[in-house]
This record gives sequence, structure tokens and C-alpha cells, in this order.
Amino acid sequence: MMKKRLLIITGILCMLFIPVIVPAQNIAVTGQVIDASGAPIPSATVAVKNSTVSVATDAKGNFSLAIPPDASIIVSATGYKTQTIRARPDLKIKLEEDVAKLDEVVVTGLATTVKRRNLANAVATISSKQLSGTSPAQTFDAALSGKIPGAYINANSGAPGGGISVKLRGVTSVYGNTQPLYVVDGVFVDNTSTSAGMNAVTSAQGSGGTTSNQDNPSSRIADLRPEDIENIEILKGASAAAVYGSRAAAGVIIITTKRGRQGKTSVSVSQDIGFVTARKLLGVRAFTADRAASLSRDSATSVALRQQFLDAQSKGQIYDYEKEIYGNTGFLRNTVVSMSGGNEKTSFYFSAAQKDEGGIVKNTGYQNTSMRLNIDHRITDNIKFGVSTSYINSSADRGLFGNDNAGITTGIALASTPSFAQLHPDKAGNYPNNPFAAANPLQTIALMKNNETVNRFITGANLDAILQKSNSSTTRFIARGGFDFYNLNTNVLFPGILQFQAVNKGTSIQGFTKNLSTNYILSLVNTWNASDKLSLTTSAGFTQETGDYNNLLNVATQIISGQSNVDQAGALNATQLRTKFQNSGIFVQEEANIADAVSLTAGVRFDRSSNNGDAGKFYVYPKGGISWNLTKTGLIKDGFFENIKLRAAYGQANNVPAYGSKFTSLVVSNITGFPGVIVNTQQGQSTIKPERQTEFEAGLDFSVLNGRLGFELTYYNKVIKDFLMLSNLASSSGFSTKWLNAGNLRNRGVELGMNARPVQARNITWNTSVNFWLNRSLVTKLIIPAAPQGSFGYVLGSYQIEQGKSATQIVGLNGQGVGVLGDAEPKFQMNSYNELTFFKNLSLRFLIHWKQGGQNVNLTTLQNDFGGTSADFDNVTNKQGIPDGIYRISLVGSDAHQFVATSTYARLREIGLYYSFTRVPISYVKGIRFGVSLNNYITITKYKSYDPEVSNFGTGFSSGVDVDPYPASKRANFHLSIDL
Amino acid sequence: MKKNIILAALILVSLSSFFVSCKKDYGNLNNATVEDFLKNASKSDLNNLVSGTEAGMRNQLALYLDDVGVIGREGYRFSNAEPRYVTDLPGANNATLSNSNFYITNPWSARYRVVKNCNVLLQAAANSSLISEAKKKGYAGFARTIKAYQLLINLNLTDTNGIRVDVADPDNLGKFVTYNDGLAAIASLLDSAVNDLSGATVVFPLAGFNGFNDAAGLAKFNRALAARVAVYRQDWQGALTALSQSFFDLNKDFYLGVFHVFGTGSGDQLNPVFIPQNQTGEVRVAHPTYARDIEAGDDRINKATLRTTTASLSGLASNRDIWVYTSSTAPVPIVRNEELILIYAEANIQLNNFSEGIKAINTIRKGHQLANYTGAQTKAALINEMLKQRRYSLFYEGHRWIDMRRYDRLGELPVDRQGDDVWKAFPRPFTEQY
Repeated sequence: MMKKRLLIITGILCMLFIPVIVPAQNIAVTGQVIDASGAPIPSATVAVKNSTVSVATDAKGNFSLAIPPDASIIVSATGYKTQTIRARPDLKIKLEEDVAKLDEVVVTGLATTVKRRNLANAVATISSKQLSGTSPAQTFDAALSGKIPGAYINANSGAPGGGISVKLRGVTSVYGNTQPLYVVDGVFVDNTSTSAGMNAVTSAQGSGGTTSNQDNPSSRIADLRPEDIENIEILKGASAAAVYGSRAAAGVIIITTKRGRQGKTSVSVSQDIGFVTARKLLGVRAFTADRAASLSRDSATSVALRQQFLDAQSKGQIYDYEKEIYGNTGFLRNTVVSMSGGNEKTSFYFSAAQKDEGGIVKNTGYQNTSMRLNIDHRITDNIKFGVSTSYINSSADRGLFGNDNAGITTGIALASTPSFAQLHPDKAGNYPNNPFAAANPLQTIALMKNNETVNRFITGANLDAILQKSNSSTTRFIARGGFDFYNLNTNVLFPGILQFQAVNKGTSIQGFTKNLSTNYILSLVNTWNASDKLSLTTSAGFTQETGDYNNLLNVATQIISGQSNVDQAGALNATQLRTKFQNSGIFVQEEANIADAVSLTAGVRFDRSSNNGDAGKFYVYPKGGISWNLTKTGLIKDGFFENIKLRAAYGQANNVPAYGSKFTSLVVSNITGFPGVIVNTQQGQSTIKPERQTEFEAGLDFSVLNGRLGFELTYYNKVIKDFLMLSNLASSSGFSTKWLNAGNLRNRGVELGMNARPVQARNITWNTSVNFWLNRSLVTKLIIPAAPQGSFGYVLGSYQIEQGKSATQIVGLNGQGVGVLGDAEPKFQMNSYNELTFFKNLSLRFLIHWKQGGQNVNLTTLQNDFGGTSADFDNVTNKQGIPDGIYRISLVGSDAHQFVATSTYARLREIGLYYSFTRVPISYVKGIRFGVSLNNYITITKYKSYDPEVSNFGTGFSSGVDVDPYPASKRANFHLSIDL
Repeated sequence: MKKNIILAALILVSLSSFFVSCKKDYGNLNNATVEDFLKNASKSDLNNLVSGTEAGMRNQLALYLDDVGVIGREGYRFSNAEPRYVTDLPGANNATLSNSNFYITNPWSARYRVVKNCNVLLQAAANSSLISEAKKKGYAGFARTIKAYQLLINLNLTDTNGIRVDVADPDNLGKFVTYNDGLAAIASLLDSAVNDLSGATVVFPLAGFNGFNDAAGLAKFNRALAARVAVYRQDWQGALTALSQSFFDLNKDFYLGVFHVFGTGSGDQLNPVFIPQNQTGEVRVAHPTYARDIEAGDDRINKATLRTTTASLSGLASNRDIWVYTSSTAPVPIVRNEELILIYAEANIQLNNFSEGIKAINTIRKGHQLANYTGAQTKAALINEMLKQRRYSLFYEGHRWIDMRRYDRLGELPVDRQGDDVWKAFPRPFTEQY
């Protein structure tokens, strides 16, 4: 109710100001934008200063524009330095190259932007070309891998449909949210992972519960279409993200989608086709009669196993089940049609896209169909209105993988199935039971279903009105807001005929989730050019975000043959989970720019959240920053070094407690029809506070060789106070956990970046960027005793939050007792993105990513050893002279070193070769582009499981756990796109 | 122009103050809270707590039975997904019981969760102004009896490592008490419960208490548990007294008693110990000595049926499924007449009333198609016989390990692989170290 009234008042407010501005008589200006070599620059932006009017140049760099007399125009294009000039009727504007991206415009406030040259933070940006122009990934989240300096990214599962964990500048929380906030065109997008209820079948996390963090759901951010994205900015910590307030502690990823501009309508059609295969298979044990017999120590069984092997061998029925299951080739296709254009009042961008991809395991795959319409309209010269709308339908068939205590997931069942087992169906299609495991994985894959289908609308609107304008001052009212609504349907079906359904006689798990997130920002921004040397930007406003999540999960067992509706069953268990929150904030920010050389920013935000113990209390989050260009201020003369800039920024942000942290719930616990309640294992904490992150970062930027080589060096120190932790309680209290503000931790790190153009010749140019980053964390205070967290305990290696230690240390049995065995934090990471252009039309792009150090908890090998199926089971490399498999098993319970495996890798993440034809004989075709690309094709690693980049226990704090996941895949693509 | 800015600023300020005054707190959307129930609970609220308590006693039940069954060498639990059943529990090679692993942390916390629920029930009943004193006594008697039973189950696991008895205040937990003090506290809790039950009115429904769902029946159930605690404390006379007030009857059905029951309804549970016969992968098989040591003709061989193929894992093998729980809704005993008859035998043998002891033993033997006891009529021989009957009568009901431990005979349990161990007690869970 309140919100509606607010909007009405805002509307009235705007109307009040419209008549104030008197339109002046415009003059027509035409011109051309060219680069240093005289070549035209298409798609450059030509904007009228202090106005909302702008146009884009066409393919020949030409533009025409009606502007008020005496106005200035601002000409900008990605990769070039921006120019501001007085308008004249006929112009030729030559733009200089901007390798160091100093003129890139970066979002720094909720309603304000600043050029990179004046930026106080290291803000990473990913362009559309870097995101999806080299070798497209399956989903948006996977497309981020290896591209964000300062991030540590892992895939939750290799299953189709995505699901990744992104940690910016170290762990920012222990059990609070560790994932960044995603903002698409001003809309705060939900990224909840919703479990399909696999735990009801796998019992991965104890028995009883329907859901667990080990169910490998996808993340909802995977729904976004990379092709629609123009640009991504990553605010890595509080010093940059403080204005986003209560949800910004883990960083903010700001996504801007493509928009239309004034000019002729252009249509582009692109088609990708390709295939996907497993990155790596582990191989299987080569059985002999003796090895088969040794699977059991029971003499009768041993004899039977030997005979079974000999029979299989004589019939030629020895199979490589790993290859049979994971060795398939999935085909993929992706079609995108986009259109953009506009006149002087209205412009639009439209796209429709569909992709359909198979998986490396049969009956798995991913489909995504989406449509986007972005419209901008100028109501007057001073009022601009825009909407971004998108509809997404995605569907992922994800199979049954990962940790499990029932022995039925594909990997776990495979781990104990030797090559001489007979799993294939008979002629009638009946699968035999697998005598070596609780499930016949061939049968499971053929008959089960685990589908996630999403229908989603994301719509944002923004209004930008100039309320007042004079020579020295401009005041704007900016309103932005939108909603993200989706319906998620999870459909899991295990027919009663499956081997492991002997008790349940068929299980159908149907989940229905509805989520609505809304947010808006209302702000006033005043820019005052006090003199030629000083300009001040003041902004103030308020924000509100809400979330309303409702998940209904029905588990039906004893199902009527062939049916999946939950009522067609003998037993039904329903669970419902709702969460709801409202966060509100007020912010004020002041930015000063002195002679384009020194820029100062200060701001403060007041925030409250319904999730806090005290829902009415406002928490205060300040921020400040300074950037000081030494060469521009004249302290250092431009010589070898140019644009030397010192910068420092400080800010605070918070992370609100999880919904329901304050309550001690009574959960349902029925018996034979009597309704019952039992205290939840989580104790409520009525005084729970948000955790507060304080980040200081400082840096030095400079360029050399006439701007052809740019460097960015950043150091940060990020302190998380009162971090939220689901602490273990002495369980004799009746509770196992309780949310606590349990202590403090810090992350310190270094990020070094370099942008260069090493080669610039007539027929070849080479652009490259190299980034290096590392992070170290330390728990500086912990008010509760250290305890193993989030994994399998000391026997198999576990995380442990402990004062004076790294937050991501892995501890476990070390042969003498319990000791530190590793750390999930990489020693460092590096990436390099390169683009080589030959003869203007042939372009080679590649991305290399190197992660050095960091350990995973790898239990995949252990499972294979236990099942007696590891490929290297019979090698003898240990001192005791027994087979390695047996040796490794003998260490379980006394030494966990073998499970804490270093996951160093160097990976050619993406490589693509593209050729563009710009002169095509057909008149209406403006250009054709061909390309071939490879995604994740080459990995150099000693890591012993499917992929070192793994996190089977979801997006939380305990990343890097590897338990028989869906193996990661690699992709090869052919591309064709036609511009009309 | 300036006016407009001032106007805009004014509107913004007034809007924000409006906005500040409107705060949201959504409460708990998903379930009731303990705070709600403690205010002034109705009969139906309290009955929900009773059913939740009874239902919650079944949580982690299979794991408890596997813990004591595997260490007590009653059987093996093979799971391709969970190696620790064949490494840590039987003590393979250098493996020991860890204080952070699921086999102790899960059952331990599940029992104390029920204790907590009983404490909430006690407090909620006491705070309620909507029910009579007699009804309050009924709730209290039930709550204290179940609390005592749950504490006993945990003490069975940690033995000399002790338990906490006073756990009412989660922020201020009582100290750990020794094994003997733990048993004494459990006994006195049972005594105070039986006091509550005299003159009590029971207005709550119970599921697994067929025939024992009124105040008198609950008192009999309480005394049956008291008899078990008494023999654990070697209070033989006390055991006989308790038996006389319980449902003990030499002439009645062995399966008369109180059970955990299961159902397919929403929010209910299926019997977690049930695994169909001849499964592969996830199996629960009898220790080979079960069939080897059984007397010919003993019908209790039917509790371990022959498999079509031998199951084996990590050097352990068995060709018999444990077939004690034969369907997904089969009940699991809490205490039943057959155990009480054996307690009667034990107490009498210990008190040198051999004739009464032998009478009870023969009741058991006869009930299982065996001839009367013909062995030596000495205390030692009769105790051997009593333990043997307990082994077969109470197979996979959670007794063998505890029996062998209290008679200091863990050394007699079979060790299958070189380097295996028979553990005496589980360590205290890691969360309980302070």
C-alpha cells in the first residue's frame, strides 16, 4: 500500500517539474567519428551534454543530431578516449585509443557514474565480447569462470543447467550468504538454489530430511542470457559496493543489457552448433580372475566372483561402464535473433533466443528459450524513460549425482561396479539388479527423471528527469525499480521398477516454487560545476527491496505404476518453506572532482531489514574514496609514466541474517496420524545482527608507452565483523546449531592487472590483458570453540573455523592426531585474455586461466577404492608393497592426507577464431561472421578426480568438496552470424 | 529554480520520514515457535508436543541399532556409500571411533532433541492455565519417563564417558556425570515420573502404547524401564520390585510391550531398519556367529534368513540377512515382555534363586521350540545361559553390546579381521568437550 502511494507521489513530483524547462530552437549537426588510422568507428555514442539526447554512429561512423545552439557534444566509444567538443554543423571527430580503459564509465553510486580515470576502486568489467564472444559457455554463470580478477569460482556440478559458487575477494561469511548480489538493469535478481528434494532418496545428509545442500541444484542466475549482456561490472567489496547496503557484503555484479540507439534498424541472426564431451574420464580397473576373486574375502563368494569374471570374459561381456555412462557426446544448438534501432524519441532492442543442449550422460540436457525487449523513450529533451523486460523459460535434466548415503547415485553406484558386472537390459528391456551396488546405474539413467523447469520474468524500469538545468548546475530525479518473478517446477521421478525402489515402490517428488523479488531506488542527483576546476555531484535517496519465496515440496512414495502425480500414490509427505523479507535504506553521497585530477567520494547509508533481530533498527554504513592523478595535478611530469594515479577507498556493507534466524521453531513430527511437533535442531537467536564488512582498498594505476600499456595494482584489507555462523551447540542442549555473530575474520589480497597492445601494425593487432590475484584470510576472533564444519569430519578432511587460522583451512587426521592438511584458498590465480586481429577481419581470441594451489576434499577416489574399481587400484607405489587401493583404504581412520588434494590447474578456458566478411554481394546483408571455438578443452592438472573446479556441497562456505559429481564437460562450437 | 530544489528536497525528506515509520517484521511463516507454546498452551498444543515426542524417538533409530549391533558383533552394515560402518565401527586397522562422526553425533543429538521436547512439554504444561492439575500430572509423567529413556539410550553409547542429565537451560548446561551417577539420575527420574502418574489423567493419544495408553499403563511401562535400569545398576532386588509393578508376565506374549510404530502418513516415518531380503549394496546382515552358535531347532534362526548370495565388503562377509524388521511399517520394540522375563531370570540368578531363574529361562526356551535347560545349576553357568538367551531373544534390538559390556565380556566378542577392535564406549561428541 505504502509503496503504491510512494509511486504516485513521485509521479506527481515529476509532473510538477516538467513545465519548468523551456525547449530552445535546435540546430542540425552531422559528422563522422573515425579512429587514428582514419577508419570509421561504428556504434560510437554521440551525446548532447547536460541532456538525455544521444545517437549512435552507423557502420560508416556517420551520425546526425539536432542540438541546441552552443551546446557541447560528448563522443565516446568502447576502447577509445572520450572527447567533448563544441557542436558545429559538420564535424570529423578523431578518437584516440584507450588501451588502459581510462575513459570507461563505471557505476559508482546507485544513480551516478564516474570515468575509470577518476575511480577510487578497482572495478572489474567484462565486456560482451569477453563474456560470450570467444567460446560461449552453456549458462551465464559458467561464462564468468576465469574472467573476474579477485574471484574464486567453482562449479557445483557438471550437470546441465549450471550452478556455480562465486566468491569475491575471499570468503565473506561463514554461514551467511557468500554469493554476490546480481543486479540486472537495476533489478536485484534472485539467485536462490532450490533443492528438488533429492535427499529424500539419497539421504546424502542424514536420513529423514527432504532437502540438503548436497542436492546439486542449479543457481537461478544461470537463467540469464549472456548474448543479451552488453557489459558487466563487478564491485568486489564494501569499499565499492557500500551503496548497495544490506545485500552487498559479498560484492555486487552489475549487469547491463544491450539497448537500442537512434539509427537504422539492424537485425542480426546467429546460429551456433556444436557438441559437448567429458573433460576427463578416470578410467576403470583392469580386472583379472584373481582381482575379481579378491573383491571378497569370503571364500565361497570369491569363487563365485572368479567364475562370474571368467564367464563374462569368455562371452566378451567386459564393459567400461564409466565410458558407457559418461562418454556420450551431447549435441548443442543455439539460435539468437536480435534487432535494434530507433528514432530520435524512441529506441529499442529486441532479442529472441533458443538453445538446446544434450549432456554427456543420456537423458540429461538443458534448454533455454528467452525473449527480451528493451525500450527507451524520451518524453521530452529532459525526461527519459526506459524499460527492460525479459522472459525466460529454462529446463534442465540433471540426473542423479553426488554424495549419497543410499548407494544409488550414478557415481557412487558406478564406484562399486566392476567391469564384469552385467547391467544391460534383456531383449524385453528389463534391467537386471546390480549385485555390486544398491542401484543399476544404466537402469537409473534410463528410467529416472530429475527436471527443473523455470518460467521467469525480469522487468525493470527507469526514469531520468532533469528537474533543473543551468550553466553550472543540473539536478536530476532518477527512479529505478523492477521485479523478478519466477515459477520453478522441480520434477523428480524414480519408478518402482528401479532396483533401489524395493521399499518405496516408486518415488515422485514434485516441487513448486514461486519467488517474487522487487526493489526500487528513488534519488535526486545534483551536479554543480562550481568552476572549471571543480564539480560536485550530490545524490540522495532511498531504496527498498523485498523478497517473497514460497516452496512446496511433495514426496510421494508407493506410487501407482506409470504415474507421477503425487496423488497417485500410497504415501505422501509434504513440506512447505516460505521466506519473506524487506530491506530498506536511505543514502546520501557526495562526489567531488577537482580539475579532473583529484576525485573525492563520501557517502553514508542507513539500512534495516526484517531479518534482523531488531527489525526496526537502522544500521549505518559509511563509505569514502579518493583518487589522485599525480600527472594531471602536475606533481609528476608525463614522461615514461603517464596518468599515474593513487587511489584509496573505504566502505562498509552488511549481510543480513538468514530468514528465521531469530526463531526457535517447532517442526512437524507426526506419528500414525497424530499431529506432532518437535523442537527444531536450530535454536533461535532473538538478538541476531547483520554481519558487517569493512573494506579498505588502495591502489596505483599508471600507463606507459603512450597509453599502450596500462597497469592497475590494488591491495585490499577486508574485515568481516560479527560474522554469521551457524555454530554447533553442545547437542545435549537439544539443539545442534544456532545462528551467532561468532567472531571476526579478515581477507587481505593483491590484484594486479595489465592491459596492453603489444602489437599494432597495419595488418595485425594484439590486445591482451593479464591479471594476477591472491587472497589470504585469517579468523581474528572466534567466540566459540573451533569445530569441524561443512564436510565429513576429521576422518575424511573437514573445514574448521579457528581463531588465528585461515578461514578456509582443511583439517583432519594426520597420522598422529588432528592437524591442518590444506586450505581451499588458492596460492594465487592468473588469467590472460587475448585478442589478435589479422587483416581487420580475422580474429583469434583466447582466455587462459591458471589457479595455483588450494586444496579440495576429494572423496571420489575413495569411493572408487572402496568399490575396488579405481583404475590405479593394483599399482604398487607405496612403501608397504601392497596394491595402492588397499593401501589407501588402510589409511582411512588414521590419516586423511589423501583426501585433501591440491587442485592446481592451468586451463585454456576459451579459444575462438572468427572471420568477418564486411563486403557481401547481397545488398541487404551487411556482414557475415564465421567462427569455431573450444570451451574448456585443455586442462593441465595433477588433480585426481574429474575436474579440479568443483564444489558439490553448494554455494556456501564449504566449497571444493568432490563426491562423485556429474563430470565436467568441454564444448566445441561452430558459429555463424549474419547482420542485416 | 531554487524553489524547485527546495521543494524537491522537502518532499524527499517527508517521504523518507514516512518510509522510516513503516517497519516490517513478518514473524515466522513456516511453523509454530517454542515461545508460542510456552505462553499458555491448550490441550491440543500439549498433545502435539506428546506426539512429536513419540515420533521424535524414532529419529536416528537405525543408526543407533547399527552402532550397538555392529560393535556388539550382532551383524554388519554394508553400504557402498558409507565406508565408516565397516572401518570405524569394527575398528579396522588403525581406525578409531571419532568424536565428530555421524555414528555418535547423530543419534546423540536426536535423543537430546527429544529430551528438549520433553522439557518444553513439562514447562508448557506447567505454564498452562487451561488444563487441570491431574492432566498436568499426566503430561509430566509421560515427559519424565520418555526423558529418562532417552538419556539411558545415550548412556548406552557413551558408557563411562558419561552423559549430561541437567539440560533444561541450553545456555547453562549441567556437568557430565559418570556412568553410575547417570544411571542413578535416570532411575530417580523414572521414580518421580511414576509418582506423577499416580492420580494423573491421561488426555493425550499415544501410538505405540497399545494397552498402555492410560495412567496405569504408562506406570507399568515406566516400571519396565526401571527394571532394566535396575539390572544395569546391579540392583537385583530393585529389578524384581520394578518388574512386579510392570507388565511382566511369564505367561503372556513375549511381544507384549511398548513399541516405536511407523506409518506412511504425511510427516510420519517408515521403519528405517527395514531392508528387504537379498538386497545388494545397502544391506544389514547377521554376524556369521549368530547361526554358528545357535542351538539346533531354535526358531530364532528365522531372525537371520539365508541369502541367495553372500554379501561381502572390505573383508567381511555373511550369507544371512537380518530379518527382525520384516516390513517398512514393522514396529521396533522399546521394551517388551520377553526382555522382562529375561530380567526376571537375571535378577533371580544373581540373587541365587536358581529355580525361579531357570523357570524364566525355560519359559524363553520353550517359547522358541527348545527343550528345558539342562546345564549346570551354578551362577556362572546360568549367567552364560541367560546372556545367550538375551542374545537370541533380543537380537538387533540394541542389547548384546551393552550386556557383554556390563558383564565385562567384550573380549569374548568375535574379531573378524586382523587389527579390528571391540570398542567399549563411544567418545563424547566433539560439541560436548567443554
